Amino acid sequence: MIKRSAAPLYLFEYMFDIFPQLVVNSLIAGSIYALLAVSFNFIFSATRFFNLAHGSFAVIAAYAVFYFGRELGLPTFLAVGIGVLFAATSAILIDRFIFHPLKMRGGSPMILLVASLGVFTVINSIISMIFGSSFKTISNTIDKQYFELFGAAFTSVQLWIFILSLVVSIGFFIILEKTIFGKVVAAVSDDEEVSKIVGIDTDKVMAKVFFIGGGIAGLGGILAGFDTGVQPSLDMFFLLKAVIAAIIGGIGNPYGALLGAYLIGFLENFGIWVIPSEWKDTIAFVLLIVFLIFRPSGILKRK
Amino acid sequence: MIALEVKKMKKNFGGVKAVDGLSLKFEKGQITSLIGPNGAGKSTMVNLMTAMYPPDAGKMIVHGVTLEKWKSYNMPTYGVTRTFQDVRLFEQMSVLDNVLVVLTERGVFRSLFETHGELHLKQAEEILKRVDLWKKRDEKAEDLSYGQRKLLEIGRAVAMDADIYFFDEPFAGLFKEMVKTVVSILHELKNNGKTILLIEHNMDLIRELSDHVIVVDAGKFFAEGEASDVLARKDVVEAYLGE
Amino acid sequence: MHLSVLVGVYAILGLSLNLVVGYSGLLSLAHAAFYGVGAYGSAILMKDFGFSFLSAVVLSVLITMAVGVLIGLVLSKFDGDYYALASLGFSVIAFGVFLNWRDLTNGAFGIFGIPKPEIFGYKFLAGEPYAFLVLLAVIFTFLICYFVVNSSFGRVLKAIREDEKALQVFGYKTTLYKLAVFVISAGLAGFAGTLYGSYISFIDPGGFDDLVSVNLIVVVILGGLASLNGSLLGAAFFVLLPELLRFVGMPDSITGQMRQMIYGLGLIALMMYRPQGILGKFRL
Repeated sequence: MIKRSAAPLYLFEYMFDIFPQLVVNSLIAGSIYALLAVSFNFIFSATRFFNLAHGSFAVIAAYAVFYFGRELGLPTFLAVGIGVLFAATSAILIDRFIFHPLKMRGGSPMILLVASLGVFTVINSIISMIFGSSFKTISNTIDKQYFELFGAAFTSVQLWIFILSLVVSIGFFIILEKTIFGKVVAAVSDDEEVSKIVGIDTDKVMAKVFFIGGGIAGLGGILAGFDTGVQPSLDMFFLLKAVIAAIIGGIGNPYGALLGAYLIGFLENFGIWVIPSEWKDTIAFVLLIVFLIFRPSGILKRK
Repeated sequence: MIALEVKKMKKNFGGVKAVDGLSLKFEKGQITSLIGPNGAGKSTMVNLMTAMYPPDAGKMIVHGVTLEKWKSYNMPTYGVTRTFQDVRLFEQMSVLDNVLVVLTERGVFRSLFETHGELHLKQAEEILKRVDLWKKRDEKAEDLSYGQRKLLEIGRAVAMDADIYFFDEPFAGLFKEMVKTVVSILHELKNNGKTILLIEHNMDLIRELSDHVIVVDAGKFFAEGEASDVLARKDVVEAYLGE
Repeated sequence: MHLSVLVGVYAILGLSLNLVVGYSGLLSLAHAAFYGVGAYGSAILMKDFGFSFLSAVVLSVLITMAVGVLIGLVLSKFDGDYYALASLGFSVIAFGVFLNWRDLTNGAFGIFGIPKPEIFGYKFLAGEPYAFLVLLAVIFTFLICYFVVNSSFGRVLKAIREDEKALQVFGYKTTLYKLAVFVISAGLAGFAGTLYGSYISFIDPGGFDDLVSVNLIVVVILGGLASLNGSLLGAAFFVLLPELLRFVGMPDSITGQMRQMIYGLGLIALMMYRPQGILGKFRL
């Protein structure tokens, strides 16, 4: 029987106990969201419309890993590579055959958005037909080791998620800031017309943007799949997390997307401290709405 | 009598001072022309006055009442209406609808239960006939020729029956007959005691129409006076050439 | 008969959504939320509180419209992409409420045994009577939409769609109009929900999630933006397509997804070659 006067102390100790675990969970979630958000922002900056099929790239990669890794039994790193390639290739093909032609016909951003809705629907239905809509795990072949740090438990898979996400993010930012390609993309993002005039082959740049963005999103989907498994309906889940993180962090700013991703990761996991856990996904949305009302440009300014 | 006045308007666009401490006065019942090189801030001023975006600083005085803030949907309350330099029509709607929409009831409930449909139709007919577009009333605005689109915009503004009109380059790209139509409309408005602000580049038209000319350059006041005087000034000509 | 009821329900949903998307140019992905509030509202009122069908419907529609006011107030501040996104967010939040407010909605288990309508002593059982009821409802909805669209109010909506900022200069508080049409549309969607719930007699959160909102957008765009007849066509297509597929021998298990795929492809094709939809009068 815990005496009333002791309750606050008990609560405090409890909070102190699970704090590290919450931090770890936040970082894992943030890592996955980061890849999704950064890639979304990357493509959005260049194309200027909301591609609602972004989550689909992630799901394609995850299912590719499921197929090649679990069904065909290929080694994990190979399956992951194939998965990322599948996502990147899908992205570039979709742009080549759908988004690009639509833009050439003078399609408004709304038309592109609706077209991306069509793409989303098609990919979702195809995956459901091939693999079924039930939940599948894809990380069977990995030996799971358990670690503990400051009282927080995590698996080797989760450690990989964190590390891979960090490495890829850093690599991406280096490419963005330090390479010529990065500067070219920045120019096209800033003003496509002027870039064309200056002699940049914007079509090629767009293709590369989709390839890289799709690939990174794919990796995000794969890592999420390793953590919690896959399901066709994750395409909406990935999309929404990516978009919300990108907007909250600051649309048009790649670091903003990173910030937004970890922010959501933390707020979601710490949020269920105060509210029942089933409302976890709702947190991100409420945050989105709040930001859209009061600060639609997000935290960081557009680059 | 001053119909409209703006004081010390400022507007920055990402580091560029589009309007920099500009004050203007418009006499009631007169046609005042606002001229200046491209980028001088003329259209920006009209956009600021009609609340397309808020100014960084500045006040507006309408019929003697000083305003610190103003909203675009209150323009009719201040008796103001306008046309747009880049012709903003309701593209996928018919010519008739483009005019009708500014004639009909403004309130949400009242517009659902319109009681003056026939009256508005007659008013629209009058206006469209004035700009020679009645025969094209069922065509979509986007299908009109450039000149016809400009005339439709002017018709829409006239339909507002405002006190103060801002015309932003109404003559640009018009053929001779259409120019005549617009000139006669402007004369009619002036004869009815309306106040007009005209942004224009055509010097002959400015000389012909203006009671007063204001020259702006780089967002600041440059010169003002009667058309013949101002346009003869060397520094004005240089400002224009040096753009 | 069963199909005609579904077509009718989707027709009401399509017509009401077209008001917002086709005529006002606002891509709302929140429609399933109102469909759900209507369905849950009347189900709960009838089962837990013993309301009769008519009063449950009326009350449920009012509740849906109230929710519409709240969501509409927030959405009216946006347009374009952000509108679509925020409305999608509301759809997801609504789904979360249906799923997690277990005390009210019974969560994932759904609500069973929703009573059939009994109006003035006559019980509308499934089959012809219900189809007739739904037909009346569709006519009612069509008349309301027709009235709105052809009024001065409708003209303002179209102008908002074309150039909202320019329209404001001519004295229109466009936010109010956007809110008004949204609430009307929400109420009609709620109405559809009440009819659906009583017909199937079982509802669960899955029937009102964001994917349903997406499907409804497809129905509206496919049938034709800013065309009331288009929405009827779109609804018929949507409900009947799986039947057609079944007829040509496609296995039951994938007819649903096949329809999704055809719809997705159709949407893409439309955006490429006929962005206004089949019978539509307006492009995005």
